[in-house]
Amino acid sequence: MRCVVRSGPPSAHALGLAAAGFSLLMAAAVLPLDAPPLSLFACPFRAATSLPCLSCGCTHAFAALVHLHPLQALAANPLGALAAGAVAVHVLWTALRLCGFRYAPAAFPVTRRVRLGAIAMLALNWAFLILRGRP
Amino acid sequence: MLARCPSCRNTFSTDRTGPQDCPVCKKPLVVPDAPGVVPTGAQPFLQPGADSSVEQGTPWERRAELGAWRAYWETVVQAVFEPGQLFRSTRLDRGAAQTGFAVLTVGGAWFVGQMLDRFFLRQWTQPLFEKLGGSGAMGPLWQKMAAASRDTSVRAIILLAVLTPLAVLIGLYLNAAVTHLAAVLLGQAKRGFDATFAACAYACAPLLLLAIPGCGSIVGTAWTIVLTGVGLKETHRIGPGGAAAAVIAPYVLLCCAVCALGLLLGMAARGLPQ
Repeated sequence: MRCVVRSGPPSAHALGLAAAGFSLLMAAAVLPLDAPPLSLFACPFRAATSLPCLSCGCTHAFAALVHLHPLQALAANPLGALAAGAVAVHVLWTALRLCGFRYAPAAFPVTRRVRLGAIAMLALNWAFLILRGRP
Repeated sequence: MLARCPSCRNTFSTDRTGPQDCPVCKKPLVVPDAPGVVPTGAQPFLQPGADSSVEQGTPWERRAELGAWRAYWETVVQAVFEPGQLFRSTRLDRGAAQTGFAVLTVGGAWFVGQMLDRFFLRQWTQPLFEKLGGSGAMGPLWQKMAAASRDTSVRAIILLAVLTPLAVLIGLYLNAAVTHLAAVLLGQAKRGFDATFAACAYACAPLLLLAIPGCGSIVGTAWTIVLTGVGLKETHRIGPGGAAAAVIAPYVLLCCAVCALGLLLGMAARGLPQ
């Protein structure tokens, strides 16, 4: 199975996702975590239940990854770290495609096995966050 | 010839006219002899592009012929009162136009609402903020938010005007990505990210209510969630249950349960012991 396919310039959504992703990465790189606006992203689920939600730690994961601390990012939220990495790759790839690179990632079929695997990853990630947060 | 089923709206290829079954949903339909001609008493058959509403483009996507203001207003009215028709007519190759509609709607309304709140309503909303911030686990957060929204300097206003469209763009794509992920996991993403994005973008129309400080954001958000479900149903051609599940799943699983927030705010307002 081929991982990349020949392609034209990036689509509007590829550009939009890259712009949004680039903004997120820049915000994570520049803004301090302990001051507004990032400090305003408190999790009401955690405050109410003392348990982390699925996305808890993503801000720290993004910040750690853009400061080149991958282990810290994985510790903050493993899937968040993977998402941050994917966003960075997408931004770079889109920039390359804008510069004339004519290859794009190939789409893969979302089978039942892929869906179940993704759900299992989400569950494991959540379990990790809950266990890590226990005293 | 190419034909489209009026039941499942899938396009298929056929080499004959007359009564036959859709190869996808197996429902009976009639292929007319001449394109666009619907025999009397027969189930209407839709040639691609023959129906005036199916994927002809929303008014906003046809703003070159309608005029920008009329196209915008008709899109908002359709999104609010005839969402099914709007989402059925959405063209999936018009992502840039859909992005523009959402950023214009949400960004503009948010900015107007913020200005109204900061300059005219602060004296009434400030005590509410302080009351909410007075107790509860979210107290410090509310105090920080109150402090951030109290700033009425020129610098703050310019910053707000510049950053609002960017924040809306990020929020729009985050929302679409999370919704699409949920749809994929539930096996409901039949027509790709473009379809999910179109649903999320036009579902932002009720967020015009953000211009009304206070209750506007609550009503607008709830309405937007409902419209996103309607949009997913039409753009992905899926059932209402699947669409509702795909929309609600992120709110339940990923986006910090809204009920927990309500409970917390209630506790904060009443000053219950933590």
